[in-house]
Amino acid sequence: MTLRFLAAVAAVATAASAAAAGPLTMTTRMMIEKRVTAADGSTATQLVPANKAVPGDRITVVLAYRNTGTAPIGSLVLANPVPRNVLYRGSAAGSQTPELSIDGKTFGTLAELRVTTPQGATRAATASDVTHVRWRLSSPVAAGQGGELAFQAVLK
Amino acid sequence: MSALGARRLLLTGTVTLASIGTAQAQSTTGTTAGTTIVNTANATYTVNGTAATAQSNTASFVVDRKVNLTVISTQTSPTQVNLGQSGAVTTFQVTNNTNGTQDFLLSANQLIPNGVLTGTDNFDIANLKIYVDSNNNGVYDPGVDTASFIDELPADGRATVFIVGDIPTSPLASMAQVGLDATVAAGGAAGTQGAALIATPLNTLNQDTEIDVVFADDDNDGVLGYDTVRNGQGWAYGVYEVGTHSVNLSVTKTATVISDGVSTINPKALPGAIVQYCLTATNATALTPASGVNLTDVIPANTTYVPGSITVGGIGTGGACLVNGFAQNDDGSQALGPYTGSFNGSNKTVTATIPTLLGGTSVAASFRVKIN
Repeated sequence: MTLRFLAAVAAVATAASAAAAGPLTMTTRMMIEKRVTAADGSTATQLVPANKAVPGDRITVVLAYRNTGTAPIGSLVLANPVPRNVLYRGSAAGSQTPELSIDGKTFGTLAELRVTTPQGATRAATASDVTHVRWRLSSPVAAGQGGELAFQAVLK
Repeated sequence: MSALGARRLLLTGTVTLASIGTAQAQSTTGTTAGTTIVNTANATYTVNGTAATAQSNTASFVVDRKVNLTVISTQTSPTQVNLGQSGAVTTFQVTNNTNGTQDFLLSANQLIPNGVLTGTDNFDIANLKIYVDSNNNGVYDPGVDTASFIDELPADGRATVFIVGDIPTSPLASMAQVGLDATVAAGGAAGTQGAALIATPLNTLNQDTEIDVVFADDDNDGVLGYDTVRNGQGWAYGVYEVGTHSVNLSVTKTATVISDGVSTINPKALPGAIVQYCLTATNATALTPASGVNLTDVIPANTTYVPGSITVGGIGTGGACLVNGFAQNDDGSQALGPYTGSFNGSNKTVTATIPTLLGGTSVAASFRVKIN
C-alpha cells in the first residue's frame, strides 16, 4: 500500500516534494467516546480506538504531525476533509481551533460562512454543513518538533 | 409535504419520518452497518522556501449494527367478535429501527400477565396463526398474506402483522388477550428466514473489520410485560372482545275476526269480514336488548290489506292485541311514536320495526285485512 501511495503522490507533486519521504510526517486516528462506569458507580468518558462504533457515537479525529527533517517547516497548513457519514461538531479541548469550510474553498468561522438553500436564499452555516477543517500554524515547526490537532464529530 | 415544509422541519432539527413520507432523505437509523468510515489528512508547507505537500495515513473503521425495533398494536379498541367466528384478526406494526436490512421472527403468546392490559382474559383463540401483510393494505387477506416472518425489512421500514384465530362458541367467553413478539434476525437472503441476532460480547477484542451487533432496544412494554431492555426483541399486545351475544327472540301470531257486516256478536269469517292479525315479539333474554327487530308478514291469499291498519304497541289483554298502540304509516315514514311500519303493495308484505326490544319484554304489532 505504501508503494502505491508514493506513486500517486509523485504524479501530482514535483520531485522536490516526494511526500512520504519528506520532512513532515502526519498520522491520523479516529477515537470513540466511551462511557465507562467506575467501581464507585460514577461514569467517566474515555477515548478508545474506534473499533465498535454505531450511529450516534461521538468521534474525535486526531492528527499528529512531526518535522522529521533538519530544516524548519514554515507556512504549514494541515487540512482534514470531514469523512463521509460523519458530521463535524466542534474543536476538541486542548487543540487549536480549526478554520471551517462548507465547500472546500472558502475557510472561516461558522458565523462567517453562508449556505445557499435550494430555493436560492442563504442562511448561516451550522456545524453539520462543514465539509473541511483546516489548521494554519502561525509559527514554523522546528526540526524534531511536532504537535497534535483534533476535532470532534459524530457518526451519522 | 412541500419542499418549504420539509426544509423547515430539517432546520428545526427534529425530523418525524412519517410526515416526510420516504426514508431516503433523512434516516433515523443512521449510517448503514458495514459502511467503512475513512479519514485522511493532507498538508502544504514550505522548507527553505520550497513548497511541498504531505499526506497522512488512512484511518478507518467499520460501522457496527445498532439493533432496535418498535412493535405496536395498531388498534385503538379491541377487535369485536362473535361467538364461533373464525379468522378473527388483531393487527400490529413492526418498525425496523436498525441501521441495516433485517428479517424479523414472529411468535405469539396467549398467556398475558395481569395488568398489562385492562380487562380480564377468559378464553384463548384457537388455531392461532401469524401472517405478514404482503400487499400493504393493512387488511388481512386470507390466501394472499401467507408469510409467517418478516423478510428483508429495510432500515426505517414498517411491516404490518396479523394474529388470526377462531373464537369459541361457549357463551362464557368474553375477552382474549394476545401478545406478539418480534425478534430481530439476520437479513441478506430474500425468502429465507434469518437467524436471530446475538449481541457481540463487549469484551471481544479488536473487531475492526467485522460488523459487531449491538442491541440498543428499550423495553417497550413496561414493568409487567414480557420484554426487557436490549434483548433484540419487542412486544405488543392485542385484545379480542366478544361483542355480540344472541338473544332468545320469538314471535307468535293470532287472528281474530273483528266484524263481518252481518252478525252483531261472534262475527264469522265471511266474505267482506275484517280479520285482525296480532304478531307478538318477545325478547326472553333478560338484561340484553335486541335492536332493530323487524316483523314481517305476507297477507293471506284472498284477502285485501286494510290501509292504515298497522299499529304497534304494548301487549294487550282480554282479547285486545295491544294497548297504547301507535298507528303507523303505510309508506314506512316515521309516525308518532318510536316504531315504524309499512305495507308493500307489490309483494303484499306488512312490516313493523321495533328499534329496541328490551330484555324480558314483549311488543305487539297488528294489522287488518278484509276477506275478499
